[in-house]
Amino acid sequence: MALVFALRQLAHVRLPEYSRRTAAASWGAWLTGQRSFKTGTQPLRSNSKVTVHFVNRDGEKITVKGSPGDSLLDVVINEDLDFDGFGACEGTLACSTCHLIFDEEVYQKLGPITDEEMDMLDLAYGLTDTSRLGCQICLTKALEGMVARVPESVADIRQSKDGSL
Amino acid sequence: MAMLSHLTATCWRNFQGGRLNTQLFYGLRALHKSGASDAAGISATEEGAISDRLITQGDVGDKTRVKTLKEMPGPSTMSNLIEFFWKDGFSRIHEIQIEHSKKYGKIFKSRFGPQLVVSIADRDLVAQVLRAEGVAPQRGNMESWKEYRDMRGRSTGLISAEGEDWLKMRSVLRQLIMRPRDVAVFSDDVNSVVDDLIKRVYFLRSQQSDGLTVSNINDLYFKYAMEGVAAILYECRLGCLETNIPQKTQDYISALNLMFSSFKTTMYAGAIPKWLRPLIPKPWEEFCDSWDGLFKFSIIHVDKRFTELKGQLQRGEEVKGMLTHMLIHKEMTLEEIYANVTEMLLAGVDTTSFTLSWATYLLAKNPDIQEQIYAEVTQTLGPGTVATADDVPNLPLIRGLVKETLRLFPVLPGNGRVTQDDLVLGGYFIPKGTQLALCHYSTSFDEENFPNSSEFRPDRWIRKDTTDRVDNFGSIPFGYGIRSCIGRRIAELEMYLALTRLIQKFHISPSPLTTDVKAKTHGLLCPGAPINLQFIERQT
Repeated sequence: MALVFALRQLAHVRLPEYSRRTAAASWGAWLTGQRSFKTGTQPLRSNSKVTVHFVNRDGEKITVKGSPGDSLLDVVINEDLDFDGFGACEGTLACSTCHLIFDEEVYQKLGPITDEEMDMLDLAYGLTDTSRLGCQICLTKALEGMVARVPESVADIRQSKDGSL
Repeated sequence: MAMLSHLTATCWRNFQGGRLNTQLFYGLRALHKSGASDAAGISATEEGAISDRLITQGDVGDKTRVKTLKEMPGPSTMSNLIEFFWKDGFSRIHEIQIEHSKKYGKIFKSRFGPQLVVSIADRDLVAQVLRAEGVAPQRGNMESWKEYRDMRGRSTGLISAEGEDWLKMRSVLRQLIMRPRDVAVFSDDVNSVVDDLIKRVYFLRSQQSDGLTVSNINDLYFKYAMEGVAAILYECRLGCLETNIPQKTQDYISALNLMFSSFKTTMYAGAIPKWLRPLIPKPWEEFCDSWDGLFKFSIIHVDKRFTELKGQLQRGEEVKGMLTHMLIHKEMTLEEIYANVTEMLLAGVDTTSFTLSWATYLLAKNPDIQEQIYAEVTQTLGPGTVATADDVPNLPLIRGLVKETLRLFPVLPGNGRVTQDDLVLGGYFIPKGTQLALCHYSTSFDEENFPNSSEFRPDRWIRKDTTDRVDNFGSIPFGYGIRSCIGRRIAELEMYLALTRLIQKFHISPSPLTTDVKAKTHGLLCPGAPINLQFIERQT
């Protein structure tokens, strides 16, 4: 135990900035020294926030602001938006629960899509041609005023079709 | 499993993935599934026919009538017992899965003693189950694993833990090794292991009279996978690919082999009631012995890294790595670190090695496809360039090769879930707490999901553009969702980099000694006979 304690002390002196991590902190960023605590990787250069309009499963519009570099999943978590089951794997590309649907012109501005994201999108419920995973979309000023629609979930379908559950 | 899902897949075994996760559990599951013995065939068919009639009546009378489990078709308890204990159905679990789904439909029930298992052999139903998962899905009964850990005062790891304990550890570990870009930084570590793999191929070839053959290729890949996982988990090299393997590493390989070879008996270790242990002590003893060996090895390596790290930090050196991160941040206790490193290593070895064995076997059997992939690799990389994670997006056929191999030979031919809520599935009411078996092997060969499903076609996974959807729930070798293989990305990287380099260096051919090799289930889906391959050096 003494060793554990000593190491912990050392760690706190040497690496204080790493001792606080958010749920969405990136280990890769730590490894490469970028010190980002978000799923997004773009540097924080601007203080000006980006406005995002989410449309939830009931069709209600929720307008929030996020910082450039934040992912849309970060925004949902930071703003404490209640989309049931959203972002289950915390942005680690193991599920497709942060599936969002965009307008065509916004979709074109969202940046490149990786093979791993496409693989996960294949497993998304209610997939469209303009679907992306929220954890992979980083905010930029060019996306100001974007609309992101949360698709109907499997649970919604079940409730609407089968009253017994 | 080896360990992680697959170490993932595995998915490390899902650690998925957990992959390994699985052995005990899958076996039990499979037990329930099997069953169609010839002796019981007639009665089983009758049962199916009755049930068909019920379905029809239900549909006509009342569109929304939900059927009960009693109405669900499936093999009888007795036919299951005969299939598995008299006819060694354990090694044919994957085939029995397909037989039963043809006989009883896409959802059927099997009974093994008091345990009822509902098998799901349909892509959309599998999707429904996995999409409806809560925050801490449960795979199956891991009581024997937990009992061993309680007895020794050890923690559970991602495979053996459930509920909040599991979620807490999963939340920590997924932030370290699940994102592709976080895993990409391990490229150099993995490539140094690939260097040794290639050297070993040259050495083993040279020992044969033809100067070309590597016999029992899985033995080589087992060592490659173990060395690769250890390089990441322990942040050190074990020497598995050296001619003289260090004694401690050899001891660990023995413990692993004991764990795998005694799979059936260790499965009974969980199935045999505790009061019977004095009469039939061997399964439980072997189970404990092999776990003792696995834990001991992990503890030695974690402690060694701990001591080194203390020195490095005192000297003000920069430190990095996965284990280093865990030791510094202490988001998990030291016991939890021991347990997870142990389970991840277990999950990440044979899962990866079996898949590499099948991939190179399929390349050898399909020389035209091998040439296509070779052309892609040389055009993309140029001669002699060592690929890293950054090159993989430009090697779609290498990715397709791994996907197609895992479709034809899913290392985890089935997976399990215990339902956390009441559910209506395929028209049947499934009460909370029911053990489900997701029949991935069966859906992988479903013609509806994959036309000409028995053909090896890596190009079926190539997308025309980014909106082209080529995948579905029919083949999810690493699982899906929050309990999928946590080692998936590590396993994928290990396989991409090893296969790319092997294809660059060699034309791979079947040895005249190897004809058709069939798969058998031994906890995981593995080659039923040794695969011997010739590695003919390419002229560059």
